[in-house]
Amino acid sequence: MKAPAFSYARPRQLAEVLALLDRHRDEARLLAGGQTLLATLNMRLSEPALLIDLQGVAALRGLQLSGNTLRIGAMVTHSEIEASPEVARHAPLLAMAAPHIAHRAIRNLGTFCGSIAYGDPAAEWPACLLALDGVVVARSVAGERRIAAKDFYTGLYTTTLEPNEMIVACELPLATSGQRYVFDELSRRHGDYAVVGLAAGAQLQNGVLGKVRLAWLGTGSMPQRSLATEQVLDGQRLSQAVLAQALQTLRAELQIEGDLTHSPAAKQHLVGVMLKRALHTLTQQPALQA
Amino acid sequence: MELQVSVTIPSTPDQVWQALNNPEVLRVCIPGCEEVRQISPEEMHARVQLKLGPVRANFIGKVRLTDVRPLQGYTLNFEGSGGSAGFAKGSSVITLAAVAEGTRLDYTAQASVAGKLGQIGGRLIDASARQLSERFFEAFKAQLSAAPVPALPLALAAPAAGLPALAAPAAAVVPAAPTGWFEKEKPRLLWFAAGVASTALGVWMGAHWLR
Amino acid sequence: MHEAPDELDTGARRVTITVNGHCGQHAVQPRTHLVDFLRESLGLKGSHLGCEHGVCGACTVRLDDTVVRGCLVLAVQADGRRVETIEGLSERGSIRDLQQAFIRHNALQCGFCTSGMLMAASELLEHKPGASREEVREWMSGNYCRCTGYQAIVDAVCEVLASRRVGAAV
Repeated sequence: MKAPAFSYARPRQLAEVLALLDRHRDEARLLAGGQTLLATLNMRLSEPALLIDLQGVAALRGLQLSGNTLRIGAMVTHSEIEASPEVARHAPLLAMAAPHIAHRAIRNLGTFCGSIAYGDPAAEWPACLLALDGVVVARSVAGERRIAAKDFYTGLYTTTLEPNEMIVACELPLATSGQRYVFDELSRRHGDYAVVGLAAGAQLQNGVLGKVRLAWLGTGSMPQRSLATEQVLDGQRLSQAVLAQALQTLRAELQIEGDLTHSPAAKQHLVGVMLKRALHTLTQQPALQA
Repeated sequence: MELQVSVTIPSTPDQVWQALNNPEVLRVCIPGCEEVRQISPEEMHARVQLKLGPVRANFIGKVRLTDVRPLQGYTLNFEGSGGSAGFAKGSSVITLAAVAEGTRLDYTAQASVAGKLGQIGGRLIDASARQLSERFFEAFKAQLSAAPVPALPLALAAPAAGLPALAAPAAAVVPAAPTGWFEKEKPRLLWFAAGVASTALGVWMGAHWLR
Repeated sequence: MHEAPDELDTGARRVTITVNGHCGQHAVQPRTHLVDFLRESLGLKGSHLGCEHGVCGACTVRLDDTVVRGCLVLAVQADGRRVETIEGLSERGSIRDLQQAFIRHNALQCGFCTSGMLMAASELLEHKPGASREEVREWMSGNYCRCTGYQAIVDAVCEVLASRRVGAAV
């Protein structure tokens, strides 16, 4: 069906965007890629008074390397990330995850930061942000706030962003030498929502795992890390015993919720499968030469 | 959608009942509730705006209370219309039990969603039902712990003169807490609220498939 | 872009969009998505609407240099930008071989999905000239077809990839 009537603004400066957002708050919606927003409007599941198109704000564009961070501007699309040599080199987890996102036409417009702001529990980027200890850079008329990934999501589609705040960029620490990553996702068809997925990273020194990061998607109402399982694996060689202990810890630790197609029990089984596969991959792939 | 929730409220069952009977408390506690209106002794209407993710849906909910067992439990039958998005209907049962920490409130709900919302799918309907009910109960507990309890409508306070001894523990903490009218003015609103919260889920279902 | 005096004015805006190489000024309401604009204001009926929420791919058009879901772009977003529809792509002649392969392989029956399929495939031919059959299937899986069962479509795309590789090698 057709979207309801709304007004439209295309500011040229970030300050204008923030002023509009502050003035209209929940009556305004930010338009970055629009791949979620416009579908929502076409379905008439929302009737905002104003859309604020961000495409005119140069400050929101681009991927930047600075110091030891990769900064992803609000308007950076999934396709840009997929194609970026900087991402391939410094944030390979993202390059692995990008092809799993929907389909090409969606990836050409949809944005990384939009996905982070939306916070779908089955989305790829929020789990990657968690796995990489990324930071959300938020701005409002009151100034800038830096929010750690682990503090950003508080519930289903719920973030700690204030009603007059927007994400201007996300920052990720650059991958260091010796870092290994794996991204895996199970879905019924390519491009479907993940049934379960895992964004994982680890160091491997002489066969010993370190700095293990396991961020899960599709398992609950938010992306979640399995901290206890990470600790079981840290400092260990991957043996059958260690794997068994990790699996046991994982099953006890993850708060799994079922969805329309998979029961909690089915997902519980699948996260175990994903963990096994990921650990085998992590311990066998070559490390990054950063 | 099926939901089962159990919360412990640090108030006596009588206090919980009173709060449940207070339309103002409920309007404040139901996420996005704009209005609550009593149509008949057994029926309430409410307008609620659901905000979850990108979805902003205005819907009208209708609730009927049946199988009322004072201070024990109720069945709430609800219907909610989200306009062109579709509608949901279902029922919930709430039971109260006095426990050491106060009152244990058990709430089960089941709902079916029809129309566009039903077609798009309920990928996260259970999760969002849980989220909405969590928000409701958090607000509800906060309302109960904030003293004093908001003033009850005059008509309801009238029978206070003939308070049975039963109300004594509650009365000590909560001013003007009549129980004589409970049978007549049933605490339907929590059910209503629960039903409204449950039916509200369907409205955001459209978000499920959105990327 | 003409700024409405009232920032909550939902009325029509004046936009300048280059469609299939022709630059024109149009009045369009913010709520109108790109394919509705193309079909209703410009009479370009080649782009179709199936689901209007981005899953079927029948609305696929090009915005600047990449394929997009025309139902998930507003016409006002295209102000100052370039749009190419199946009419323009076809006229350019750059997918002649693909169109002929579609006919040869019977990769269209009712034709409703076809413009979207050709649009999506055209970007594959540009970006992944060495794509395997599996990669073709994955790339094209964002476009739904209710008639053909997909194999003929995949066959047609693979045939063109192969013949272009041979052509390039020559």
